[in-house]
Amino acid sequence: MAPVIETRGLTKRYATVVAVDELDLRITAGEIYGLLGLNGAGKTTTIRMLLGMVRPTSGVVRVLGAAVRPGAQAAWSRVGYLVETPAAYPELTVRENLAVAARLRALRGSNHVDEVIERLRLTAYAGQGARTLSLGNAQRLGLAKALLHKPDLLILDEPANGLDPAGIVEIRDLLRELSQEHGATVVLSSHILTEVTRLATRIGVIHRGRLVRELEAGDLTAHLRQRLSVSARDLKAAELALIAAGFIPIRSDADDLVLTDARAVREPDAVAIALVAAGCPPTRLVVEQDDLETFFLRVVEA
Amino acid sequence: MINALATEILKARRSRVPWVTAVAFTVAAAVGGLFMFILQDQYRARSLGLIGTKAALVGGEADWPTYFAFLAQTTAVGGMLVFGLVSVWLFGREFSQNTVKDLLALPTSRTTIVAAKFVVALAWCLILAAQLVLLGLLIGAVLALPGWSGEGAASGVAMIAATAVMTMLLTTPVALASSVGRGYLPGVGVMMAAVFCAQVVAALGYGQYFPWSVPALLSGLAGPDRVSPGLFGVLLVVLVGAAGVAATALWWRNADQDR
Repeated sequence: MAPVIETRGLTKRYATVVAVDELDLRITAGEIYGLLGLNGAGKTTTIRMLLGMVRPTSGVVRVLGAAVRPGAQAAWSRVGYLVETPAAYPELTVRENLAVAARLRALRGSNHVDEVIERLRLTAYAGQGARTLSLGNAQRLGLAKALLHKPDLLILDEPANGLDPAGIVEIRDLLRELSQEHGATVVLSSHILTEVTRLATRIGVIHRGRLVRELEAGDLTAHLRQRLSVSARDLKAAELALIAAGFIPIRSDADDLVLTDARAVREPDAVAIALVAAGCPPTRLVVEQDDLETFFLRVVEA
Repeated sequence: MINALATEILKARRSRVPWVTAVAFTVAAAVGGLFMFILQDQYRARSLGLIGTKAALVGGEADWPTYFAFLAQTTAVGGMLVFGLVSVWLFGREFSQNTVKDLLALPTSRTTIVAAKFVVALAWCLILAAQLVLLGLLIGAVLALPGWSGEGAASGVAMIAATAVMTMLLTTPVALASSVGRGYLPGVGVMMAAVFCAQVVAALGYGQYFPWSVPALLSGLAGPDRVSPGLFGVLLVVLVGAAGVAATALWWRNADQDR
């Protein structure tokens, strides 16, 4: 299947700063691809290059089969986008802002505007000036502009910014529906790990401009590390007992012992038996798993 | 192009800027009328002190040719500021309000959007010039200025229209500065610099070679003894206008939009 987005060796340098470094992406139809990275990792520059807003220093970008370069606009009628914080003409109402976007997309009739207003729950604000919108509703307006023409490809930079928890769930459901029921491809960037992992079908971790890891969302848990955490009244004696039993305990900052070797994680009962036999029974024994943040930081720091 | 034009017209219509520019040109016509009113009576002119002195500088005759010349000169000097403000607003606002990013990846090309902005700027400036002419005719009629002739009126109106078009052409670099500088201030800076330089260069006697001095010289602001810029000056103005439009369109098409 031809990719919806393809980049090869995509690089952007600003003087001595490399914002994006040899990025190779291949995103196919119907995927929800999450571009995950810390602030300043190169997510927005990548998105701007995908949209032809920033010219790559080197490398190639193809969107919906068309090469992205200055003056080329073949793909844009099928692409909806939201880059960074949403912006709107403050003197125009929500409806007028959407009408401007519809005009520039050469959409006929007002049904596109009415539909998207209803879909993004902006009906109560349709006649309100954009300058008076809350951050959350301004974000909804930005998303409405991106969805106005029912695009085949949605490119969204931090789409959850400014939304309240209910709004985040609502937008997540909407994007999932667009992907699953209408076959739209969604590319979204975020520095919020949980947001990406709850929605994306595939995740690319970008750090210092490089794609450092790419994984299927379903495989994520397999990448999370496990460890056994042990507390005892006499921690020194417990440590010696575990060493004698062939384990490798490490004293943690939280004043307990951490065992990361596979046997300890697999057989916590053996650890308990060894401690009881040595006369220092455990007061706490728990198998812990990396949280997503820990995993993410481990990946980017590797 | 029609879609881009419709959106630019809607944005302009809903803004306060057209009203501000209309008020500025209304004041200009009224000030011209006031000068004519003072000049109609020399005793009144002397009794008004400073205003009387300035009014005398207009040319000293309260008649239609003088009034038309004043309105053309107002278009040349005030127009650079008012038309410049129009360009600063049309282009600079997209960057100051960060709305430019919504104009960059659309089926409507960036060049079309830039062209629509310049068309609206030109139409806006011509409407302001038309407003100035209509107010001028009204005020002149109320003051019962002498020296009316159909030929003289046509020539006066043509001079105002030509001055308006030339002045608008000279504001295209202001649009470029607002785009490259990504906001209002760089455009305002270029506009003020152009007005300042135009005055200085014209005073030094080289105005015919400096495009931003040309409309004022053609409208007779520097007096009848000054060398007229002629066709060469007009060509310089056209060249600046074309270069400003082309450079702005190329910049929008090719420059990195990374803010």
